[in-house]
Amino acid sequence: MLRAGLISLVLFGLVLGAHSLTPSYHLSPTDVARLEAFLNQPLTDLESAYYSIVGLNKLGTRVSDEKHACQFLKSQLDHSSIDSLFFAAEASQALSGCEIPVSNETRDILLAAVSEDSTVTQIHRSVSALASLGLPLASQEVVSALATRITKEDNVLAITLALQTASRLSQQAELGGILEEIEDLAARLDDLGGVYLQFEEGLEVTALFVTAAYALSDHVGMEPPLKEDQVIQLVNSVFSKKSWSSLAEAFSVASAAAAFSNNRFHIPVIVSAQGPATVSHRQPVLQLLVTNVLSQSLTSASVQAESARAVSTKSVVLNQAPFTLREESFELNFMDSQPASGYYEFTVAVSGDSRFVANQVELKVKVSTEVGITNMDLSVVDKDQSIGPKTTRVEYPNKAKGSFTADSHQNFALSFQLVDVNTGVELTPHQTFVRLHNQKTGQEVVFVAEPDSKNVYKFELDTAERKSEFDSMSGTYALYLIVGDATLENPILWNVADVLLKFLDEEAPSVIQSKNLYVPKPEIKHLFREPEKKPPTVVSNTFTALVLSPFLLLLILWFKLGANISNFSFSPSSILFHLGHAAMLGLMYVYWTHLNMFQTLKYLAILGSLTFLAGNRMLAQKAVKRIAAEQSCRLAKYRSLR
Amino acid sequence: MSNSVVSVVARFLDEYSSSTPNRLKLVDSYLLYILLTGALQFLYCLLVGTFPFNSFLSGFISCVGAFILGVCLRIQINPQNKSDFLSVSPERAFADFLFAHTVLHLVVINFIG
Repeated sequence: MLRAGLISLVLFGLVLGAHSLTPSYHLSPTDVARLEAFLNQPLTDLESAYYSIVGLNKLGTRVSDEKHACQFLKSQLDHSSIDSLFFAAEASQALSGCEIPVSNETRDILLAAVSEDSTVTQIHRSVSALASLGLPLASQEVVSALATRITKEDNVLAITLALQTASRLSQQAELGGILEEIEDLAARLDDLGGVYLQFEEGLEVTALFVTAAYALSDHVGMEPPLKEDQVIQLVNSVFSKKSWSSLAEAFSVASAAAAFSNNRFHIPVIVSAQGPATVSHRQPVLQLLVTNVLSQSLTSASVQAESARAVSTKSVVLNQAPFTLREESFELNFMDSQPASGYYEFTVAVSGDSRFVANQVELKVKVSTEVGITNMDLSVVDKDQSIGPKTTRVEYPNKAKGSFTADSHQNFALSFQLVDVNTGVELTPHQTFVRLHNQKTGQEVVFVAEPDSKNVYKFELDTAERKSEFDSMSGTYALYLIVGDATLENPILWNVADVLLKFLDEEAPSVIQSKNLYVPKPEIKHLFREPEKKPPTVVSNTFTALVLSPFLLLLILWFKLGANISNFSFSPSSILFHLGHAAMLGLMYVYWTHLNMFQTLKYLAILGSLTFLAGNRMLAQKAVKRIAAEQSCRLAKYRSLR
Repeated sequence: MSNSVVSVVARFLDEYSSSTPNRLKLVDSYLLYILLTGALQFLYCLLVGTFPFNSFLSGFISCVGAFILGVCLRIQINPQNKSDFLSVSPERAFADFLFAHTVLHLVVINFIG
């Protein structure tokens, strides 16, 4: 019970494994040519010379003028600079017959750079220069220096350079510690959408990591800890950029391409169809290109189509069919299996080398065919079926002689069958249209012909029903049959016959205006909001006077009541209060005309506090006076009572 | 019926003119003025239309607010209500009246547009 479950789980895993990632990007021949052209720049300084010469060497080509390059290296070389020695040494190694003269001082300078105090870059360059110039070096010292520097410089580039350095050391040295760094670095890669795997530092660093990892793994003889999917994602990251911003970047891509094409453990395989993946009777052979990332054909591989499944019916058409190698491509005659037209899913397996990665590929292949029209019958059917239909058979590509009439009493009908010319099987293409074209007015109406259950296409035209599409324009219409499909090699446009259509109630205008969508439309005039009608000035003025009139009434009433200002005390606080209050009212008017709320509040605060203080003092004085008056009044009353 | 109404009104007016202190009569006449102003504004709005509606609202609210504040002042300075307003002296009532009016005027002027 448990074992059955375990087995099914393993099978499930295997099925999933079958759908592994395949590379989306690689260097096509044009990309390789572009990279080579980019690297082949005229030599300006040692660094660019290094990138050009060594980069081209990695791609398998040479610089245009080797002797000139060698002389350039010798002339530009600065014997006291480690960088200069590194560039010259590596580049001279890539050129044939170019020797850099070395002196004892040079060797001492390079050896002195190998210490814990130099940066990883310096150690890398000096070790590489020593190795390229054939000078002896103490590998164990290098290893310990690198180990110390890695802990101090923990960035990706430094560790990558350390890996690259280790690949130049003797195999007897203790490289295990540095080898583990590959796995640590691989863990720092960012997975972007399951398609790309790269460092956040960018393309150049990722490509250099690839080069270094494989260089060290090959040197040590241990497979790098990268899973198949990760290798493919690295391929995608490095080769997705097709134009390079600097020589250094192009050099890193070239190095990575060389590493992917030629290492002891992982060779990513690119399988693609040569030209369109289409097979037909005229071209029955499916040709595949099986290459590495540099688009170099892997002729040693053996390619087999594991299965070919029809997309529409899901039936398996082919099983375990081998491809044969012809020149640089692998071929299979698919038409031998006599597939019906349509799309097929091929599963292709590439074997022959245990290093192949992404060697199971799914390809979609189209099988196309030619269509033939048979049994095309045109008939005029009477609506009340009193007279039998007159049927005319027309053979493709001829046109029917005579014209057919369809009016209120008669319908026009059309029936035909579509067959595969090569196999005789009935076809149902995507596009089967009947087009009626009025030559005089330029009208065009298109209908769809539908197949019935026996795959016989039928079309019937009832003039009374369809008069709106024709705008009720009577006349002679040329009838075309249009047949098309992605899997058809011969789409058909066939003028079958001329049909005379008669419509009742010809309300249509004599000239039909073509529905032109692209003429300028009538201009939209924007109506601004009309300001509301103001009442006449006379009315406003009258009412203003009316509204102000109660003030007069107030003054009169107050006068009658005997209000006066005889009790006005001319103390400073009361004067200040009245002035401040008047100023506040004036501020209100100014606020209405000039100011905004913030300014008003500011002035109001000043005036208000002044007025408040003055008013407080004034009212306090008044209160004191009032209380004194009340007390004296009470005292007088008390005295009079006694 | 109308006779009694007329007699009541006449009696009320008599009592009012005799027993009300002068100070309160001043405030009452002020209130009457405010009332008339507000009523006339409303009449204009009814007759001519609400064209600058914000101005109408601000003027009307100003009259209503001033009326209310005037009524508050009258209540607070009425000596008959002294027991209800022990902590509020007439001067304090007037100061409150002025302060509230300042705020009212600020809002009204803001809204008058």
